Amino acid sequence: MSEILIKNANVCDPAQGINCETMDICIKDGKIVESVSANAKVIDAEGRLTMAGGFDGHTHSAGKINVGRFINPNDARKNPVPGLSGQVARTEKTRAQVGYNTPNTYAIGYRYAKLGYTTICEAAIPLLAARHTHEEFKEIPILDKMGLSLFGSNWQVMEYIRDKEPEKLAAYVAWGLKASRGYGVKIVNPGGGEAWGWGKNVSGLYDPVPNFDVTPAEILMSLAEVNERLQLPHSVHVHCNNLGKPGNYATTIETMKLFEKIKPSRDRQALHVTHVQFNAYAGTSWRDFETGAPMVADYVNGADHLTFDLGQVIFGPAVTMTADGPVEYANARMLHEKWSNQDVELEDASGVVPLFYSPKSFVNAVQWAIGLELALLVKDPWKVMFTTDSPNGGSFVNYPEAFTYLMSAKRREEVISSFSKMALDRMVLPGIDRELDFYELAIMTRSAQSKMYSRPEKGNLKPGSDADIAIYDILPGKIDPSTEYAKVKKAFSGAAYTLKNGEIVVKDGEIEATPKGKIYWVNAKVPSAIDSAMQKDIDIKFRKYYTVSKANYMVEDAYLQKPVEIATEGVF
Amino acid sequence: MPVIKDAVCSLCGSLCDDITVTVENNKITKIENACILGHSKFVGMLEHDRIETPMIRKDGELVPVSYEEAIEAAAKILVNSKRTLSYGWCSTSCETVSGAIQLAEETGSVIDSTANVCHGPTALAAQEKGSPSATLGEIKNRADVILFWGCNPVHAHPRHMVRYSSFSKGFFTEKGRRGRKMIVVDVRKTDTAKLSDKYVEIEQGSDLLLVTALRSIVNGREDVIPETIAGVPKAEILELAEILKNAKFVCIFFGMGVTQSRSKYKNGDAMSSLISDLNQHTKAVMIGMRGHYNVTGFGQVATWETGFPMAIDFARGYPYYNPGETGANDLLVREEPDAAIIAAADPGAHFPQKAVRHLARIPVIQIDPYPNPTTEIADVVFPAAVVGIEAEGTAYRMDAISLRMKKLIDSKFKTDEEIVKDLTEKVRELKRGA
Amino acid sequence: MQVVKLSLKEANKIPIEADNINPDNFAGKTEEEIKAILVWYGNGQYPLGDFFNIKVEGSDSVENTKLVFEGDVSRVKRIGQNMSAGEIEINGNVDMHCGFGMRGGKIVINGDADSWLGCEMTGGEIILNGNASYYVGSGYRGEACGMRGGKITINGNARDYLGEHMCGGEILVKGSVGLLPAISNNGGKIIIEGNATMPASEMKSGTVIIKGEVSDLLPSYKEEGTEEVEEVIYRKFVGDVNVGGKGVLLIK
Repeated sequence: MSEILIKNANVCDPAQGINCETMDICIKDGKIVESVSANAKVIDAEGRLTMAGGFDGHTHSAGKINVGRFINPNDARKNPVPGLSGQVARTEKTRAQVGYNTPNTYAIGYRYAKLGYTTICEAAIPLLAARHTHEEFKEIPILDKMGLSLFGSNWQVMEYIRDKEPEKLAAYVAWGLKASRGYGVKIVNPGGGEAWGWGKNVSGLYDPVPNFDVTPAEILMSLAEVNERLQLPHSVHVHCNNLGKPGNYATTIETMKLFEKIKPSRDRQALHVTHVQFNAYAGTSWRDFETGAPMVADYVNGADHLTFDLGQVIFGPAVTMTADGPVEYANARMLHEKWSNQDVELEDASGVVPLFYSPKSFVNAVQWAIGLELALLVKDPWKVMFTTDSPNGGSFVNYPEAFTYLMSAKRREEVISSFSKMALDRMVLPGIDRELDFYELAIMTRSAQSKMYSRPEKGNLKPGSDADIAIYDILPGKIDPSTEYAKVKKAFSGAAYTLKNGEIVVKDGEIEATPKGKIYWVNAKVPSAIDSAMQKDIDIKFRKYYTVSKANYMVEDAYLQKPVEIATEGVF
Repeated sequence: MPVIKDAVCSLCGSLCDDITVTVENNKITKIENACILGHSKFVGMLEHDRIETPMIRKDGELVPVSYEEAIEAAAKILVNSKRTLSYGWCSTSCETVSGAIQLAEETGSVIDSTANVCHGPTALAAQEKGSPSATLGEIKNRADVILFWGCNPVHAHPRHMVRYSSFSKGFFTEKGRRGRKMIVVDVRKTDTAKLSDKYVEIEQGSDLLLVTALRSIVNGREDVIPETIAGVPKAEILELAEILKNAKFVCIFFGMGVTQSRSKYKNGDAMSSLISDLNQHTKAVMIGMRGHYNVTGFGQVATWETGFPMAIDFARGYPYYNPGETGANDLLVREEPDAAIIAAADPGAHFPQKAVRHLARIPVIQIDPYPNPTTEIADVVFPAAVVGIEAEGTAYRMDAISLRMKKLIDSKFKTDEEIVKDLTEKVRELKRGA
Repeated sequence: MQVVKLSLKEANKIPIEADNINPDNFAGKTEEEIKAILVWYGNGQYPLGDFFNIKVEGSDSVENTKLVFEGDVSRVKRIGQNMSAGEIEINGNVDMHCGFGMRGGKIVINGDADSWLGCEMTGGEIILNGNASYYVGSGYRGEACGMRGGKITINGNARDYLGEHMCGGEILVKGSVGLLPAISNNGGKIIIEGNATMPASEMKSGTVIIKGEVSDLLPSYKEEGTEEVEEVIYRKFVGDVNVGGKGVLLIK
C-alpha cells in the first residue's frame, strides 16, 4: 500500500517520553514504521504539534443516544460551535449532518475526526440491545470503535454472586461480551438498575438489591474478579452508586478503596471510575452543596490501582443519558424536563433527560469547577482521562474549549469572574494555578488510554502502531497556551491533518476521506465444561423470562464492520 | 426437510421470534406458533398473486420490461423531479430504510414512513415529554396492572397478551393472568375489553380529558374534577386512579385510539406526563402498540441517520423535519410532489382521496412484492422479495428491541435493498452524465 | 421610503421558500439585485426574478422599507422570516411560517395564513385580516418556548394549538379557535373573542381570556372567584394544577 513521510513534525508522544521534539514520522500500509522509501508521499508538518489520534474512552455515541436524538428534534439546528455543530448540507464527500449534543451518526464521525480523534469507546451497551449499538457504529465513518457492555444489574450475574459461583459467572460474562461484541465490563450504579425495575434505588455499597440478596459491593468485587480471571484488556469500568447526590464523594472513595485488593491480570489499572465529577460532591443537600474534589483527589494521589475520567461540564444545553435510571427520573422531576426511560428486561435500566448548565446557577458553576479541580489536583496525569461524558456534561465538540480551561489559569479566571459569591465559596478552583502543558494534555487524551484499554497500537506513535495521527496548527515552542488560549482552541477545533491508518481524512479542518473504521470486541475463552453448565442456566432464563429466543440474542457477524476480535484466555 | 426454528415473524410490531417453519422444495409447508395474522403472511406467499416482473406504464397500461429498463426509467423520474415524495418503507428491513434515506438525501426528496397515518403522533408526544418506557420482558416479569388504552390486541397483536402482557408468566408474575389486573379504556367494548377486569368506556375524542383527570387525582387535586368527565363518572375515575397508584408496576399500552383520535399527539403527550406523575407513587411505564413490524425500525434508522424519526425533507441538502408540513399526507393534499416512490406500503388503499388523486397525476415508482391499489396508479413497478421470508434483515419490535429476520426460502426476486441500491447508482450515473 | 412590489408570475404548487424575502435583505437594493436573490424551490435554488415580477421604488434603510405582495402567495413559505424592522403587506393568502422568528417591524396579511404564523416571534406585529391555520405563535418541535414577544392580531378564526409554548408577547383572535389554544404556555397573553376547546392545558404562567364559549374545560383548573377586565366580569380559573401552574384563565 502507500507510504507517507511526515516531515518536521513537532511530536508529543508521552508513551515514548517524547515531549515536543521535531522529527519525521514514517508510515507504510497504515502503520508507523521506522523508515520509508523515496517514493513516499511527503506531508510537511511545518513544525506543528503532532500527536497520536485522540482516544475518547467514554462517550455516548451509539445506542442510547438515539433516544436523545428522538426526543430533541430541536437539537438538530443548534449551532453554538460553527464548523462542529448545526445542520450541514451533504457534499460530494460527506453525508448531511445535524445536531449539537445529539448529532446524527455521520456528524459524529466527521466531527471527532476534525478534532483529531480517531478512536471512540461507547460507554454503555445493554446486552439485549447490543445489535442497535452496532447498527449505529456501522454508520459512524472513519473512527475505530469499541463498547462497554453492561453487567452491573444483570439477573444472572447477581444470582451467580448470591450462589457463589465465580466460574459460571466468568463464563456468563465471557458469553455476554461475545453476544454483545463488547470490549469490556461496564457497571452502572451496581444493583440500582434492578431496584429501579420497581422504581427504587440502592443507597450505597452495602444496601442489598431487593429480591436478589446481593450488595453493590459484592457485585463490584465479583465482576472485578471475573474481569481479571478472564484477563480482559480493560479493567471494570464503574459508574459509582449515588451519582449526582451531595455527599456522594464518600461513596466514590469507598468504592475506590474496595478495589485496593484486586490484582490486575494485565499491565493496567484494577479499576476505572468514570465521570467522577458527578460523583465528587460534598455537603448534605443542594443548599450546602460544595466540591468534594479535594477529598477524592487526595485519595487518588495516594492510590496506584485506578484511573478515572472527568465528566467535565460545559455551560449551555446538554443531554444526560445514562443507565442510571433513578438519577434520570429525579433529574426530570427536579428540572421539569422531558423524561425518557428504557428498562431492559433482566439486565439494566436507562434514562435520557435534556438540561442546561448555567454559570448563573451556583450548583452548575461548582459542577464545572469540580471537573477541573480533579484534573488539576491529581498529580499524575496518567491516572486521568479527559471526557465530558459526552453529551452528559456537554457535547464532545467542546473538548477544545475545555482544553483551554486545563491549560490556562487566565481563561479559568475569566469564566470564574462571572460566578456568584455563593458559587465561589463552594469550590477550590480559584486557588489553583496549575496549568497543563501539551504533554499532559496528550497523556489525558490519547496516551493513557493505550494502557488503560490495553491497546498498544493506539494512543502513541511507536513503530508498529496504527498510523492514526493528528497534526494541529500550533507551533509548540512559539505559543503560550496560558495567554493564547484562543489560538489553542482554534487549532484543536480543526486539525491541520488527521490521518487514520495512514490515510488523510481531515485537512485544514475539512473532511477529505471517509474510510470505514474497525470494531474491536473481546472473545474470552472459557473451558467448555463450565460454559456448558452456564448455558443450562441461561437457557432457563430465555425460556421463562426473556421475550426473545436465545438463538436470536447474539449480535450476528453481519453487523460487524471490519471486526477485530481480541482473544483472551480465562484462568480456571 | 429443513425445519427452521426461532424465525422472526414479519407482520406486526410484536415481532414474535419463536416461529418454527418447515421448508420443502423451497416452499413453506408448515408454520408453528404464528398467530392468524402471521400465519396469513407466511401462507399468503402461496395464495396471493405476485408482481412477476418489472413493469412500466406505456399508453396507460403496465407492460413487462427488463430490470435495467425499469431502473433507468425510475432513475430518470427521480433526476428530473424537483420534489419527490418517498413513502412507506415500513414493511421492510432497516438496511433497506438506510438505502432509501441515502437515496432521498441525494435526490433532495422528502421521505416519510407509514407512521404518518399511525403512530406518528407518538413521536410528536415523545418530543414534547419524552418516552417513559421499558422492554416487553419488564412487563412480563413485573407488571401487575396492565392497561390497554385505545388498542385492541386480541385482533391487532394476537399473541401480545400471551407472550408479553396479560397472560404472560414471568419471574415476579408466576400467577400470570390471575395475579394481574387488566384494564381497558376505549370508546366501545372491544373483544379485548371483554377479557378485562375493568372496562372504562369514554366518549369519542375525550382521551385527553380523562388522562388529565387522572393526572389531577394522582397529583392530589381531585378537587378540580367535575362530576363527570369524558363521559365517565368521577367515582369511577377515582377508582381507576387508586388501582394505578396502588399497583406495584403499571404498564399502559396505547394504540390508534390515543394517537389518531381528537387532539392526537397531545393524548400521548399527556399520557407521558401521567406516567411521570404515577412514578411518584409506583413504578409505571408506557409502550406504543406499533402496527407494522418495522415502523419502529424506520424511526430508529431515520433518527440515527438524520436526527428525525419521519417526515424528513432533504430539499436543502440537510434534513428538515416538521410534521404538518413535511409529512406524506401534508405534501400530497397540497399537491406538492411532482414524483413519488412508494415501497412497502399502500397509500392507494389507505390515504385520503385527495392525496390519492394527486398520486395518480404524478409519476409513481412502486417497489412491492404484491400488486395493490397503489399499483393501479404506478408508472414504474419493481417486484421485490418478501422481507422476513425471502430476504433477511433487521427489524425493530414495538419496544425498540431489534432482531434479525431470517431468509427462509430462495426467490428469483431482488430484495428492495438491492433495488434501492441499483436505483441510487443509476441516479448518480445520470447526474454525472448531465 | 423604499417600496418593493412583488407578484407571482404564475401559481406554483411546489412551495417557494422565501426566508430571504424580508426588509432586511431588500433595503437599499436595486431591482436587479433583488431579482438575483436566491430562493429554494424544491431541491434547487433559483433567482427570485424567475418567480416574481418585481418593481422597486426608491431606496432606503430597513425601517423604511416596505414589501407589497399582490395576489395569492399561498405556496410561498417563510415570508418575513427573522425580519428586524420595516413592513410587509400581503394582499392574498400566504403559506406557512410567515413571520417566523420576527424581531420587529410589521406584517399585514389581507387573506388567510397557513400554519405557524409568527412562529418563534420575539418582537414586531402581525395583523391577519383573514383566518389562520395551526400553531399560530408557537415554537419549533421539541422547543420549550414558542413566541417570546411581539403581537399577533387575527381578525378571523384560527385552528388548533394557538400559541403553543408561548413564553411572552400577545395574541388576539377576533374569531374562534380550534383545539388546545394556549397549551403549555409559560408567559404571554392570549385573548380569544370567540369560542375555544380545551384551553390552556399545562399552562405554567400567562393570561388567557376567552369571551366566547369554552368546550371541554380540562379538569386541571381551580375556580377562584371572578376577575374584571375592561368592565367585563369573568370567572377566574387558576392552573394548570398538574404543572404547579399559576396561569390565569378567564372565561365568561
